Amino acid sequence: MTETSTRTITINPVTRIEGHAKITIQLDAVGNVADTQFHVVEFRGFEKFCEGRFFAEMPQITARICGICPVSHLLASAKACDAVLGAPILRPAKLLRELLHMGQLTQSHALSFFHLSAPDLLLGYDADPAIRNVVGLIQQHPDIAVKGVRLRKYGQEIIKFTGGRKIHPDFPIPGGVNKALTVAERDEMRKGLPEAFAQAKFALDLLKKYQEAHHDEVETFASFDSNYMGLVQPDGALEHYDGNLRFTDQNGKIVEDQVPPANYLEVIAEATEPWSYLKFPFIKWLGYPAGMYRVGPLARLNLASKISTPQANAALREWKDGRNPVRRSSFYYHWARLIEILYALERTQQLLDDPDICSTDIMVTARPVNEQGVGVIEAPRGTLFHHYWVDGNGRIEKVNLIVATGHNNLAMNRSVLSVAKKYVKGNQLQEGMLNRVEAAIRCYDPCLSCSTHAVGQMPLHVQLVAPDGQVLDELARG
Amino acid sequence: MSGNSRQTAGADFLVIGYGNTLRSDDGVGAKVAAAVAELGLPGVVALVRHQLAPELAEPISEAHAVVFVDAAVDAATEVQMRQLEPADGAQLMAHAADPRTLLAFAKQLFGRCPPAWWLTIPVENLGFGEELSPLARRGYETALEKIRALAGCH
Repeated sequence: MTETSTRTITINPVTRIEGHAKITIQLDAVGNVADTQFHVVEFRGFEKFCEGRFFAEMPQITARICGICPVSHLLASAKACDAVLGAPILRPAKLLRELLHMGQLTQSHALSFFHLSAPDLLLGYDADPAIRNVVGLIQQHPDIAVKGVRLRKYGQEIIKFTGGRKIHPDFPIPGGVNKALTVAERDEMRKGLPEAFAQAKFALDLLKKYQEAHHDEVETFASFDSNYMGLVQPDGALEHYDGNLRFTDQNGKIVEDQVPPANYLEVIAEATEPWSYLKFPFIKWLGYPAGMYRVGPLARLNLASKISTPQANAALREWKDGRNPVRRSSFYYHWARLIEILYALERTQQLLDDPDICSTDIMVTARPVNEQGVGVIEAPRGTLFHHYWVDGNGRIEKVNLIVATGHNNLAMNRSVLSVAKKYVKGNQLQEGMLNRVEAAIRCYDPCLSCSTHAVGQMPLHVQLVAPDGQVLDELARG
Repeated sequence: MSGNSRQTAGADFLVIGYGNTLRSDDGVGAKVAAAVAELGLPGVVALVRHQLAPELAEPISEAHAVVFVDAAVDAATEVQMRQLEPADGAQLMAHAADPRTLLAFAKQLFGRCPPAWWLTIPVENLGFGEELSPLARRGYETALEKIRALAGCH
């Protein structure tokens, strides 16, 4: 082996985007990490096979993109269809859609924290993989596991009561929603709020204690400068259902504000790489790849001026910490996720107390009048765009979908590189190294994680191969 | 709704059918549970799910008895009903989830695990679609008979 020779570690499969991904790590001659790639190897094809469908079918078709976040796609799709119809939906319908959304935020974030990330935090990154999952969490911290199970269940119950069923509800439709909320259903959801609040606050305290005890590790875990994008209200407050787009730079300075979501193509472009099926969105005026930006809980809290609900706003003030205009470490996604659960619960309470929440005036009918429709929401994982082009009969001519995992693609690659450089050393492959690389991805809560076959574990097979093809070392899991 | 669903609280007999109804026979367990729900048998609660998840541990712990219904892709050619004991494992929220893990969760988290059975239905078609094959359809009918008989004993 010459001094200039390099070696490549391939982690394949890492996990799935409703499918699979892999990571390649290139080592230099002395065994240090030189470069990494996070490859998404699964091709979905929704943008293509929806061409020719009637636009009103899109909510039900695109809901099947994912089993964890069908609600997000339903809402973004319904909003795109509303735009095609050209008729604003009625206030009760908007309230109900937002209530569904709060249920989705609660259950998705609870799943991410308690089931997927808490095992690392509570059992340790280097713990035996056999127990470093929700099963191990239940065995060693049953009290915490119960809280996680119940909090996620509460979010799912909101979805069920509001939308009619927990998975793939057919509730948001073009022009509104197809089910009103009964008084009994509203009251049942109100009953669950006190316990849900207690569970959310418990989780926040847990994470804050972890951050204090592991301060240096937390501050430097996949920490780097990036821009941020997300929806905000007209006054800059955190927003998940409506609002306009805000962009901030790595120091939190607002560089573009109140951009109507329908104009997203003026500010975002997408690049492709030959080694991944996932596109690479970037900010146009910065170019590719300098225009990397992050979305999702970390981004939303970095760029929001405030939160409209009191408890979550207090938590945001603490998170922003005065000394730091933005939180750069990817670890802070976890903390931001928990603050968003608190917001979702407060907003749920406001919605349930709204006098229009049980109204039966929930639908408008209209003929499609616009050739395009854009629907944008802040899904749990980040900004979600559904853009449809239709012909005069309402048939889909073209579809563009940008999902949160896509926005974060450049950032996830950067995170993998950062963590690999810190923890991968020399010629010895250790399981804890794989887990830390995995944990960097898990901060973003990508759709990759929801497709693993075993909770908390991504099947990994790593081979260290010499230039002559000889396998020098090998590690497998899952 | 404080972690004790109105729907399942203290069910005499809980039926949990799971599977993907868009993958033909894979959805037979879910369809059995849906049919049981339609029957409206006294004291029987049926839950239709895509997959087993930890949230089911609490209603399981509150039931007097529980039966899981799923498609079977092993060599069995007949509907099988096996009694289950709780067992530790990591197979949950997976394509091949093990209900014994869920029983262990129920015991560990909520202090109780009722008598439980796993009713598996042989299948032959797991492609895209919503219809059951003749084999799965026969198993579906047999499963309903067995559940009625078992529910009548509890």
